[in-house]
Amino acid sequence: MPTISVRKGFQLRLKGRPPQRLNKAPPPAEVAVLPERLPFVKPKLVVKQGDAVRIGSVVFEDKRNRSLKFASPGGGRVKQIVYGPRRSVKAVVIALDADEKAESFHRFTPAEIDAVDRPDLVRAIVDGGLWGLFRELPFRDIPHMDAVPPAIIVHLDGKEPFQPPPSMYLEGRRHWFDYGLKVLKRLGPVVHVSAAADNDFVRREMKQYVTHWVEGPYPSQDPGVLLFHIRRAVHENHSWYIRGQDVLLLAELLKEGRYPTETVVALGGGMPAPVLIQSRLGAPFSGLVDPPPDPTQVRLIGGGAFRGIADDGVPYLGFYDRSVVALPLPRGGELFGFARAGADKPSMSGAFLSRWRSTPFAVDCDRHGDLRSCVNCGYCSRVCPVDILPQFTYKSVLAQEVEEALAHGLLDCVECGVCTFVCPSKIDLCLALKKAKTAYYKEVYDLKPRPA
Amino acid sequence: MKRLKALFDRQRPHFAAGGRFEKLHPLFQAMEDFFFFPSAPTRADSHIRDSLDLKRFMSFVIFALLPPVLFGIYNTGLQARLSAGLDASFWPAVVRGMGIVMPLVIVSYAVGLSWEILFAAVRRHPISEGFLVTGLLFPMTLPPTIPLWQAAVGISFGVVIGKEIFGGTGRNLLNPALTGRAFLFFAYPANMSGDAVWTVMQGAGQTAVDGFTAATPLVVAGGAGPGEGVAAVLQTAGYSFGRLSVGTYPGSIGATSALLCLLGALILTGVGIASYRIIAGGILGALATGFLLNLFAGQSVNAWLGLNPFYHLVMGGFAFGMAYMATDPVSAPGMDAGRWIYGFLIGVLTVLIRVFNPAYPEGIMLAILFMNLFSPLIDVITIRLRLKKRVPNV
Repeated sequence: MPTISVRKGFQLRLKGRPPQRLNKAPPPAEVAVLPERLPFVKPKLVVKQGDAVRIGSVVFEDKRNRSLKFASPGGGRVKQIVYGPRRSVKAVVIALDADEKAESFHRFTPAEIDAVDRPDLVRAIVDGGLWGLFRELPFRDIPHMDAVPPAIIVHLDGKEPFQPPPSMYLEGRRHWFDYGLKVLKRLGPVVHVSAAADNDFVRREMKQYVTHWVEGPYPSQDPGVLLFHIRRAVHENHSWYIRGQDVLLLAELLKEGRYPTETVVALGGGMPAPVLIQSRLGAPFSGLVDPPPDPTQVRLIGGGAFRGIADDGVPYLGFYDRSVVALPLPRGGELFGFARAGADKPSMSGAFLSRWRSTPFAVDCDRHGDLRSCVNCGYCSRVCPVDILPQFTYKSVLAQEVEEALAHGLLDCVECGVCTFVCPSKIDLCLALKKAKTAYYKEVYDLKPRPA
Repeated sequence: MKRLKALFDRQRPHFAAGGRFEKLHPLFQAMEDFFFFPSAPTRADSHIRDSLDLKRFMSFVIFALLPPVLFGIYNTGLQARLSAGLDASFWPAVVRGMGIVMPLVIVSYAVGLSWEILFAAVRRHPISEGFLVTGLLFPMTLPPTIPLWQAAVGISFGVVIGKEIFGGTGRNLLNPALTGRAFLFFAYPANMSGDAVWTVMQGAGQTAVDGFTAATPLVVAGGAGPGEGVAAVLQTAGYSFGRLSVGTYPGSIGATSALLCLLGALILTGVGIASYRIIAGGILGALATGFLLNLFAGQSVNAWLGLNPFYHLVMGGFAFGMAYMATDPVSAPGMDAGRWIYGFLIGVLTVLIRVFNPAYPEGIMLAILFMNLFSPLIDVITIRLRLKKRVPNV
């Protein structure tokens, strides 16, 4: 099948890539569920402090749609509920028992998957608390249970530093992946499976699943980017996506009848020991990263280096987090920093000696400059993988020209963060575009996914 | 270095909110940022950032501008000495040149920065690095005999009317250095054009010795009669193609050397700071128009029509304008296709103004300013054409 070549984006080789070996994390004493890391979800708690919970029992529901449930990844007692401003729920922390109890769900044999009605299958996933694994483009909200997607995109790998590769997360679970794809095809019915064209493991062992090979720098593996390149009609814009790794979680729930508790997590960046580990869902960072770094020196990010979330006061793995990246915090002004040769300073432009370097870079979460106004340099347009001309879309957004911003493709934005990365004026482009998307979602969709 | 940091730390409270010099905080910040590169943690999206910032971006332009500037200092001194009948030795020419050029540069920076500080203090935003380039570009486009007060008025006009009233760096419609120059051109034409202004003459008589051509190549070329080849006329006046490329002739302070401007253009496009499309488009436009006009050379009395188009590239301020002025990203279109069109039309217009308009020997300044006005339109058209092919997502 043809390879989709995504020419735009930016691949940064970061130091701290975990070696391709799977380790096991020490069992944590507690796990947490983080509602704030779920997009647009307004949590309604069904447990309170001190309640006993089991693996798979409901912890909170979505106020927008009470059928949408989110479950506990551990069995024990609710130790603490962390509230944020205006009583928003930031985390439900569960202290694990030595002997965890689990809910049991109906086990579907492969034949049953073929035979069952689609709505029943959907309800099984919803009741199992894993409906949130699906996300609907373009707003990346959790889809409505009654909706039928034009397509479901499964992305097997990702080039954002650092994501667990299929060779590691599939270890010992191949049969589940097959089953999971079967389930997706019942939900679809159109399913696209994408993988990087240079992923040798997938080419050797998973060729039969892949429908689209994608080549290109980060964020070529993003489902939004794939959709941009393959869509032909307007209705395809509302396709769903699910991570290849999460198909295994879905399979575990439906095949084995239990809520999944473990997945593979990549720990990378400025860690003392980057590693791929088999971790509990919702595990605390302190158990994963040993010794825990000093928070005044190092920022721990749940998620990737471009898109992850940090500093929100709840250092646990979120529902979608499959990596933890450590980045040193900035250390203050370098003397005549703007005039340095910069063999260690990565840049998309050619303005540093680093352009001739092929070895990985150590980066920090420094802004490297001060905020200035846009000078129309065009760097952002050069790297945007969906060609939305970020500088013009940003200016339309600021001028509140909604139609113009939409015509530029505001909703196609995959929120990769590369435009913000390259901007020499240090403008928070991605944030501005996301805010505009959310405002539009609120205006037209009332912040709720539509059934059809 | 620790002492320097301590000095800044000691002075910071005076410039912070509530301090005595609270309004001048942008100036303090600019000075501190020059020594100690600004460093702050990012928020999300994304956590990591490119190392290039606007300070380095503008510093590269200044770095690429240095060859024409240094050569300009030498050349100005050289022409001044030659016109007085002195020899062409290097160091005396440099010293003479510095005496003419440095006051202009200092005045340009001092007056311009004062305006920048004023606007930054009133509008409460940091001083942007864009002026560091404008402040050096502007004197390079002036004739060396310009009085200092006129240079001050010119840069004031350029900074205030050319940039600040639109909102400052990043919002100007026109190139600020060229706006200042255009203002001086129309307000004080006697000081900005003619034969006498391009060389600093010595003595009360203000005339050159015999054998020294004080007229610029463009003026000489304009004097070619029907039937005479412009190149031949230039050669008679001593302006061979080689000399025109190197730049050892009277003209604007920094704009004479086409070769050094080419070097600057290569530096800027090599590091990805200037758009090669604008420069290449300009060269193509000038050459295409030149060749087109050559076709009509036999049918007209205008001697310009027959000129080898490559002469257009090295005469006058074309090379300087294309390399440094036209490539100003703010006033140029933001779309790559638009940049080709913009550059091409600048080249076309420059040649047309030179050839057909007897009032203006030099066309590049007006061509760039004119195309600056069209940049938004070029962007709108190229964007609209591009968006037509997109599957809508609304």
